[in-house]
Amino acid sequence: MNENFEDELRRRLRPVDAPEGFADRLMRALPAEAKPVVVALPVRRRTWAQQFGMPAALAASLLAAVLLGQYSAEQRDLRTEREGLEASRELMQALRLTSDKLDIAYEAVQSLEPADAEENRS
Amino acid sequence: MPDSLLLQARAGDRRAFAELVKAHQGSVFSIGLRMLNRRDAAEDLAQDVFLQLYRKLDSIESLQHLGFWLRRVAANLAIDWLRRVPYSATQPLDESHDVAAPEADDDPLMSRELVRLLGELAPHPRAVMLLRYQEDRDVAEIAAMLDMPVNTVKSHIKRSLTALRGQMIGARLIDCEDLP
Repeated sequence: MNENFEDELRRRLRPVDAPEGFADRLMRALPAEAKPVVVALPVRRRTWAQQFGMPAALAASLLAAVLLGQYSAEQRDLRTEREGLEASRELMQALRLTSDKLDIAYEAVQSLEPADAEENRS
Repeated sequence: MPDSLLLQARAGDRRAFAELVKAHQGSVFSIGLRMLNRRDAAEDLAQDVFLQLYRKLDSIESLQHLGFWLRRVAANLAIDWLRRVPYSATQPLDESHDVAAPEADDDPLMSRELVRLLGELAPHPRAVMLLRYQEDRDVAEIAAMLDMPVNTVKSHIKRSLTALRGQMIGARLIDCEDLP
């Protein structure tokens, strides 16, 4: 063995043949490994309910919330107004009673005044 | 081999793809065989490499790129296989006489021993030696194929040559004066 060791390696390590029928077996295995084929799926037509159902439900919910809010605000205003009127009426009633009592007291004071004056003179 | 063969294969021509396979199957199979030391595993590996090629044909730019790509994938798959499988499982020595180049078999004992010693190298140095001496690739190409620095490739070659020569001398298959 007088050749260079590296040359000897190259000579002895030349590629060997693949097993008989390797390429045929590989080609038979290819269909299972074929490139993915893109298949267009049929587009299903959506019904009106499927297409607009969700937006319509959302819009209806929003409208109901607005109307309910408006109604409850009106009811609150009416209640406040009614309570205000009631309070005003009660106040007037109280003032009227007070005024009547003051009148009675004034008349009582007036009826006493002549007698007192005569007593003082005598 | 014309580049048109690659273009035809990329266009889906299965006969053109089969021609590409036949042109490279020896190298890919031999990398698997000498890395794994098993004919069945080497055939599985070669089939895996070509199936990957079939799926990635669109990314192959030229026949030169094809040769580089096939050897890179084969070597790296073999290294991965050796990582997963226990080392002893790759040593059916009774088959090892099949892995030498038949036309170089003027000294079958020498060929068998050389292949056996090559099989004792760690996976990365083994792949480096095969790409260097079986596939006749230069150091820069091997570094790119195995994703390692050029200096590491040089170091693997130097150390592996020293080890192989030492063991061949120890086995009295070569004489000291035969060495360069």
